[in-house]
Amino acid sequence: MANKIFLASILTSTALVGMTLVASAQSNNPIKVGLSGPFTGGSSSMGVSMRDGVKLAVDEINKAGGVLGRPIQLIERDDEAKNEVGVQIAQELINKEKVVATLGFINTGVAQAAQRFYQESEIPVLNNVATGSILTNQWPDQKVNYVFRTSANDIIQSAMISNEAVTRLGLKKPAILADSTNYGQLGREDLTLALSKLNVKPVAAEKFNIGDTDMTAQVLKAKEAGADVILTYAIGPELAQIANAMAKLGWKVPMVGSWTLSMASYIDTAGPNGDGAIMPQTFIEAPTTPKRKAFIEAYHKAYGGDRMPSPVSAAQGYDSAYILAAAITQAKSTEGPKIRQALENLEAKIEGVVTTYDKPYSAKDHEAISPNIPIMGLVKGGRVVPAHPEDLAGDKAVRVKPKG
Amino acid sequence: MDILAQLIVSGISVGMVYGVIAFGYQLTFATSKTLNFGQGEALMLGALVGLTTINFLIATGMSTLVAFALMLPIVLIFGLAQGAVVEFLGVRQAMRTKSEAGWIMATIALGIIFKNLAENIWGRDALRFPSPLPEQALSLGAVRIQPMEIAILLGALGLMVAVEIFNRKSIYGKAVVATALDRDAAGLMGIDTRLVITFSYALSSMSAAFAGVLVAPITLTGPAMGGALGLKAFAVAIIGGLSSGYGVVVGGMILGITENLTGYYISTGYKDVPGLLLLLLVLSIKPAGLFGSTAIKKV
Repeated sequence: MANKIFLASILTSTALVGMTLVASAQSNNPIKVGLSGPFTGGSSSMGVSMRDGVKLAVDEINKAGGVLGRPIQLIERDDEAKNEVGVQIAQELINKEKVVATLGFINTGVAQAAQRFYQESEIPVLNNVATGSILTNQWPDQKVNYVFRTSANDIIQSAMISNEAVTRLGLKKPAILADSTNYGQLGREDLTLALSKLNVKPVAAEKFNIGDTDMTAQVLKAKEAGADVILTYAIGPELAQIANAMAKLGWKVPMVGSWTLSMASYIDTAGPNGDGAIMPQTFIEAPTTPKRKAFIEAYHKAYGGDRMPSPVSAAQGYDSAYILAAAITQAKSTEGPKIRQALENLEAKIEGVVTTYDKPYSAKDHEAISPNIPIMGLVKGGRVVPAHPEDLAGDKAVRVKPKG
Repeated sequence: MDILAQLIVSGISVGMVYGVIAFGYQLTFATSKTLNFGQGEALMLGALVGLTTINFLIATGMSTLVAFALMLPIVLIFGLAQGAVVEFLGVRQAMRTKSEAGWIMATIALGIIFKNLAENIWGRDALRFPSPLPEQALSLGAVRIQPMEIAILLGALGLMVAVEIFNRKSIYGKAVVATALDRDAAGLMGIDTRLVITFSYALSSMSAAFAGVLVAPITLTGPAMGGALGLKAFAVAIIGGLSSGYGVVVGGMILGITENLTGYYISTGYKDVPGLLLLLLVLSIKPAGLFGSTAIKKV
């Protein structure tokens, strides 16, 4: 037995020496980082904005000398918001491209299917847009978890949605409209739970499929049930059909829903019918701090336009790249377990666009966004503005996760 | 009562779209006993070609209504051409070799190819189609309806009536009817039945393309828009009967209305179920469809 251990340690140390040699030979080789998200299809406004945000940050990092003296190279892959494509990409990035970490994931279902492979290969994932509550806690029985997040999860969002409707607007008869995907149905459960904590029961809970074009039945049901507010968990195109159906039926009640109400596909398709929708946002495209101003200007300089397709995704993507870079720097290594340890104990204080990250993660807590960080946004004239400007007034502009 | 009326009116306008697509199935089935399983893709291509055309015309400074009117003939001609291509590539060969299933595979394959083509040209995103009519809903009593929904109803009926009149009154149309009644006899009378079948495919895709630009302003346009519509229209064609032009109109309305009524009175989660139940019911009780005439297949 002792011999075996001895032999094993010799083998390991030889391997380590070998690896160090290889590593030093590669010292100027780029550090490969995976980037997985839907760049085409119904979720593409989020995917493309996230990718552009990440690329912007990586360009800045590389211009400033890279990480560990090496540039970061992004390996971008389009997962088309399809679970099976996400899985293929995960395997390709891990086994063929040998990435040191992966940023991305817009869709909860894709993340749920793909993250398993990173966990098995001990490669960290910074999930920067997907919000499914389960994603940072997929394997409660395992000792370590390689999935970290920079977005506001659905538990945070559903609590904010319920509070906004029930407490702030004083509307006690909500109707929930959710799509039939994982995202919509898990969100509906979170919402029902959050409402029950406020002693409110939804008067109706209706469902629809992706691609449904006629929401008359769903909206009529909500109306006849006496709903005074519509709570939504769905994505852009169908949300727009809801707003259009409400306008058609000449029924106007406030619409409060998950952050996807800020998607360009909702705002553009619903047009004036979409105005007034309220949703949680970690970032609103407004230069409320010098950092945000610089970010917005750099984004439009690099990608044109005067409105980000999905500002939240762009900001969270941008921040996720800086957090990863800080972790690699601190780990002084590109090995997965070391990067994970560094992430769980980040010493550097990172001034991001969404917030300032001061020890964002611990071994137990892999959520960088706490309930106090997001604010409510409002669709107005084709843009998202703060629903309650006082939320961002003065020193509240940067909301920081409480120490704990 | 008001709610029932509202549900029925909304159901009719959706149902008419199903009806026009199903009408296309019926056209080719009458002449050749084959169907284009890529009918949903014909609709999608029509809508996307229409979108590019209308955006181009609007960019030249026209009003949306004028641009829409000018775009229509282009889309119809495109539909005719697209249908002819489907027949030439997919159906003709299978008919020549008397293959029973060849045309099924071929039209499905062509549908997939058209979808991929569209994804490459227009991308996978759903795009907004400019509405030629005001989007403000009108009030008819307690029922509210969008002007575009009325346009769908009238346009769909108009197209089907026009095709029926053409078939009954014009000499070319009579050739179509003759081929539908008895292809061999029509051939003996000097009718080029092969050309007639190509023509019926062209007409079929034309009606699908027309349905595409009608429905696009109230939904979104994109490569994925055809799939579900084509499938529902297929159910409509079975329910109404593949040999009856009126059958598909009524079948479309039945499906559109039942979907809405189920969604409201039972559960929105079960919206698609009654259509399928109806399909099974019709198939088991009256396989030729509610309005179809039972044909005896002579072997």
